[in-house]
Amino acid sequence: MSYYLIAPQITVAGFAVAVIMLDLFVKQKRLLPIVSVVGLLGGLGASIALWGQTETGFTNVLSVDRLAIFFSVIFCGAAALVVLASRDYVRNNFSRFEGEYYALIMLSVVGMMFLAAARDLIAIYVSLELVGISLYILAAFGRDGKSSEAGLKYLLLGGVASAVLIYGMAVVFGITGQTSLAGIYQAVAAAGLGLDNGMLLLGVVFIIAGFGFKIASIPFQMWVPDVYEGAPTTVTAFLSVASKAAGFVVLIRIFLEAFGQDLAIVSGWAMIFAVLAVLSMTIGNVAAIVQTNIKRMLGYSSIAQAGYLMVGLAAVSKTIGAGVTDPEVLFGPTGLLFYIGCYGFANLGVFIAVIAISNKIKSDSIADYAGIGHRAPVIALAMSICLVSLIGLPPAAGFLAKFYLFNTAVHHGLTWLVVIAVLNTAISAYYYFRVVKVAWFGTSTSQEAVPSGWGLRFALGISVAGVLVLFFYPSGVLDIARSAAEAVSGIALSAP
Amino acid sequence: MNSWILDNFWAHFAVFTIVILAFVIIGVMAFIYVERRGFGPFQLRRGPNRAGPFGILQPIADAIKVLLKEDVVPDRADKVLHTLGPVIVFLPVLLIFAVIPFHGQIGGLIANLNVGIVYVAAISSLGVVGVFMAGWGSENKYSLIAAMRVVGAMISYEIPLVLSLVAVVLATGSLSMNGIATGHPLPMILLMPLGFLIFLAASMAEINRGPFDLLEADSELVAGFHIEYSGMKFAMFYLAEYGHALAMSAVAATVFMKGWVGPWDAYLGWFWFILKTLMIFVLLVWLRVTFPRMRIDQMMSFAWKFLLPMALINLLVVGIQVVAFGGDIPWWMMFINFGLAGVLILGWSKFFRPGGARVEYQV
Amino acid sequence: MAVDIAFWILAAIAVVSAVAVVTLRDVFRAAIFLILCFFTTAGIFVTLNADFLAAMQVLVYIGAVAILLIFAILFTRDVQQGNPSNKLKVPAAIVGVVLLGVMVSSAVTFGWPESVYLPELADTADIGQRLFSENGYVVPVQIAGLMLLAAAIGAIVLMREK
Repeated sequence: MSYYLIAPQITVAGFAVAVIMLDLFVKQKRLLPIVSVVGLLGGLGASIALWGQTETGFTNVLSVDRLAIFFSVIFCGAAALVVLASRDYVRNNFSRFEGEYYALIMLSVVGMMFLAAARDLIAIYVSLELVGISLYILAAFGRDGKSSEAGLKYLLLGGVASAVLIYGMAVVFGITGQTSLAGIYQAVAAAGLGLDNGMLLLGVVFIIAGFGFKIASIPFQMWVPDVYEGAPTTVTAFLSVASKAAGFVVLIRIFLEAFGQDLAIVSGWAMIFAVLAVLSMTIGNVAAIVQTNIKRMLGYSSIAQAGYLMVGLAAVSKTIGAGVTDPEVLFGPTGLLFYIGCYGFANLGVFIAVIAISNKIKSDSIADYAGIGHRAPVIALAMSICLVSLIGLPPAAGFLAKFYLFNTAVHHGLTWLVVIAVLNTAISAYYYFRVVKVAWFGTSTSQEAVPSGWGLRFALGISVAGVLVLFFYPSGVLDIARSAAEAVSGIALSAP
Repeated sequence: MNSWILDNFWAHFAVFTIVILAFVIIGVMAFIYVERRGFGPFQLRRGPNRAGPFGILQPIADAIKVLLKEDVVPDRADKVLHTLGPVIVFLPVLLIFAVIPFHGQIGGLIANLNVGIVYVAAISSLGVVGVFMAGWGSENKYSLIAAMRVVGAMISYEIPLVLSLVAVVLATGSLSMNGIATGHPLPMILLMPLGFLIFLAASMAEINRGPFDLLEADSELVAGFHIEYSGMKFAMFYLAEYGHALAMSAVAATVFMKGWVGPWDAYLGWFWFILKTLMIFVLLVWLRVTFPRMRIDQMMSFAWKFLLPMALINLLVVGIQVVAFGGDIPWWMMFINFGLAGVLILGWSKFFRPGGARVEYQV
Repeated sequence: MAVDIAFWILAAIAVVSAVAVVTLRDVFRAAIFLILCFFTTAGIFVTLNADFLAAMQVLVYIGAVAILLIFAILFTRDVQQGNPSNKLKVPAAIVGVVLLGVMVSSAVTFGWPESVYLPELADTADIGQRLFSENGYVVPVQIAGLMLLAAAIGAIVLMREK
C-alpha cells in the first residue's frame, strides 16, 4: 500500500469536504477560513514530510518526487495565504457561499498537487480538469455582470484549450502507444523520432498550446485581462500564482521526462519556448503600460512574467540530451523554480494589498490609488516592495530570480533572449513604478484610513517577508530548487 | 434449427431480426390485450369483449382502425423531425431484444454481448431522442411540455435504474445478460428485493407508464408528445410504448428472475422466459391501475430523495455482502436482505414526503 | 474486410454529421446531428472490439450529455436562426483549412505504429482491475470523482440566488 504518498492530497480533499459540512451545520462562519487554513497547512506539512522519500507507488501514474513536493508546498502555501486574505472580502461579497468558496479553492489545490505529481497523460488531463472546473466556478463567484463574463470566458476558452491539449495527447498516444511519460520517452527514442517529424511536432505544439493557456502565454492569453479584471480579486490572486505554477510544473515534467531524448529534440522545443517567451514578455509589457485598471494591469504583467519564466524552459539544451551533459552549465528549470517562488510571494503580496485597498475604496482604478500611501502606509509600503520585486530590482527577491535565470540563459547561448528580457524589464519598470508613484505622491480626496483584518495583515506580512528573505538568504531555497530539478532531469546538476 | 442459418452471419442476422420483429409485434398485441382485459375486473367492468372470443381480436381491430386513419402533418411542423420521431422511438425497443437470451446457453438472439447489460442501459436511453424530435417537430406547446417532462423523468430515473443494475452485476460477477441469468443460484429478486423494487419503479418511470405517465397526462397535456400524430405514425408510438414495456419486462425477467432458467429448461427455456416476462408485465398493469398519477414535483422528489439514496444504500449493502462472502452470497442472506429492505423502505418513507418542494423565485 | 467497410461508412457519417453540427443554422437539428456523430463514434468503437467503451459512449454522450444539451436548447429563443456570424468568418475559415491541411497531410504521411496487443474482450473483472487497482488507474478515477464534486458544488452556487 502506497497511499501515504498521496497523503497531502487526501488531507486537503478531506478538509474541503469538512468545510462544506461545517458550513451546513455550524452557525459560526468564522471557523471556515480557520479550518481551511489548517487543512492547507496540513497538506503543506504532509508534503514536506514526504521530501526525500524514495518509494514510487501507483506505478507510472504518479511520481511523488521532489519536484512534485516543491510545487505542492507552493500551491498549499499560496492557497493558505489567499484564504487568510480573503476572509473580509468573502464576508462582504458572497457571504452566502463562504463554505463553497473555501472548498473550491481547496479542491483546486488538490488538483494542482495531483498535476504536479502526475506522470501519465490520463492523470495529467483529469487533474487539469479538476483545477480548471474549480477555477471556472470561482471566477464566476461574484455573480455580477463582470464576474459572470469572466467565468464564462474562462470556461469557454479553457474548454477550447482542453480540447487542443487532449488532441495533442491523442496524437502523442497514437505515435507511441503509451500514456505514461516514461513509456513515451522510450517509444520516441526507440522509433528515433524527432521534431522534424510532422506528427510529433503537431502533438508537441498542441500540448504546449493547451498548457500555454494555463500559464497565460502569448498567443493563448486572450482570457487573461478580462478574467483577471472580472473575477473576485482573491480568486485572481490565486489564479495568477497557483494556476500559473501548475501549468509550469506539468510543462517541466512532460518535456523533461517524455521529450528529453537527444539534443535535437530538446533544442527543438526549447526554441519554441524561447520564441513564446519573447512574444509573451514583449506584448504583455507593452499592453500593460496603457492599462488604467490595476487588475488588468496585473493581468498583462502576469503574461509578461510567464514570458520570463519560459526562459527557464528554453535554457535546457546544454544540460540534457545524450552526450551533451555538461555539469558546469546551470540548468534552466532550477532558475524557473526559484523564480516561481519569488514571483509567487511578490504577486500574492501585490494582490493582497489590492484586496485590502479595494475592500475600502471599492474601486480597481489605478487613479483611485492616489494618496493610499498616507491613508495606509504599511499596506502601501508592502505593495511597493512587492512591485519592486516584480520589476526585478534589489533589495527584493525578484532581482536574484531574474539574475539567476538570465545568467543560466547566457550559459546556454541565449544571449539574444536575455537582451530582449532585460529591455522588457526596463519597460515593465515604467508601469510598476507608476502605481508606486500614484500611491505615494498622488493627492487623495479622502483621508480615511484603510482597515484590514488580522488574517490579511498576517498574509501580507508573510508575502513581504518571503520577498525579503529570498533576497538576503537565497541559498537554501536555491538548493531545494536544484534538488527538485534534479529529480526530474535525472542528472546531477552543478551548484547554483 | 438448420445449422446453415446459425453459421452464416448474414443469414443468422436476417432470420433472427425477423423473429425479433415478429416477437415484438405479437408480444405487444398480447400485452395490449392483457392490459385492456385486465383493467376490466380492476375497475369493476368487463373490458373489451366484442371482437372474437373474450375480445381476443381487439388489438387487431385497434391496429386496423389506427392504420386506416389519415396521416396528418401540421403545417408549421419540422417535417423531417416529425417523421423521424416515431421511428427513433421504436428503434431502441428492437435493439434491446438483440441481446436478451430467450433460450438456453446460446444467449442473445443476434449478439451474445459480454457487456449486455450496459448495452441495454445505453440503448434504452436512446428512445428519448425520438420523443424530443416528436415533441419539438410537432410545433405544439403541449407536445413540447410533454417532451420536457419526459427528459426530466428519463434523466432522473436513469440513475437509480443503472445503480440497481450495478448491484446485480456485483452479485453475479458478469455484465452479459446470460451470465447474469446464470450467475447466481438464487434469482436476484429474492437476494436483493430492494434492488428489484428500485428497478421496477425506475423502469416504470423510464417507459412512462402509470403512475409516472404524466408526460401524456390526458387532462393536462391532451395526449403528450404525440398529440399531433395520427395514422401509421401514431401506431408506431403505441407500438413503441408497449414494446418498451415488453422490453423492460424481459430485462427484469432476465436480470432479476433468471430468465430462461427453470425446470427442463433445455426444452422449456423460452416458455419460462415468456412466463416470467408476462408475470412482470401483469405486475406493471396492476401497479398502473392501483396508483393515481403523480405530479411532476412529486415525481422528481421521489427519484432524487427516495430512489437515489435507496439505490446507493442497496449498492453499498450488496457490495459489503459480496466482499464479506468472497463474491458468493449464501442463500440465507435473502432473509436478512428482505428484512433490511422492509426496514429501509419504512424508515426512509417516514421522513420523505413526495412533493412539498421549496420553490425559489428569482427576485 | 466487412469491418473495414463498416469503419469507412461510420467514419464518413461521423465526419459529415460533425460538419453539419457546425454549419447548420437550426440549433435543434445541429444537436440531432451531434447525437448521430456520437452514435457513429460508438459504432467505430465497436469495429475496434471495444464493446464496453461503445456502450459507455452511448450511455454517457447520448443518454446524458446530448439530452441535457437539447434540454437547454428548448429553453433558448431563436433556435432556428442560430448564432449570428461575425466579421472574422473568412480568416477563421482560412486558418481552419490550413490547419486541417497540415494535420491531414502529416497524419497521412506518418507511419503509424500498430498496437502489438490483441483486442481484449471486456470482462467485468478486467475492467474493474484496470480502473480500481493500485497498479491501474485508481488515482485518476478518484480525481474524476473530486472533479464531479467540484462541478456539483459549482452548479449549486451558480444557480441559487445570492
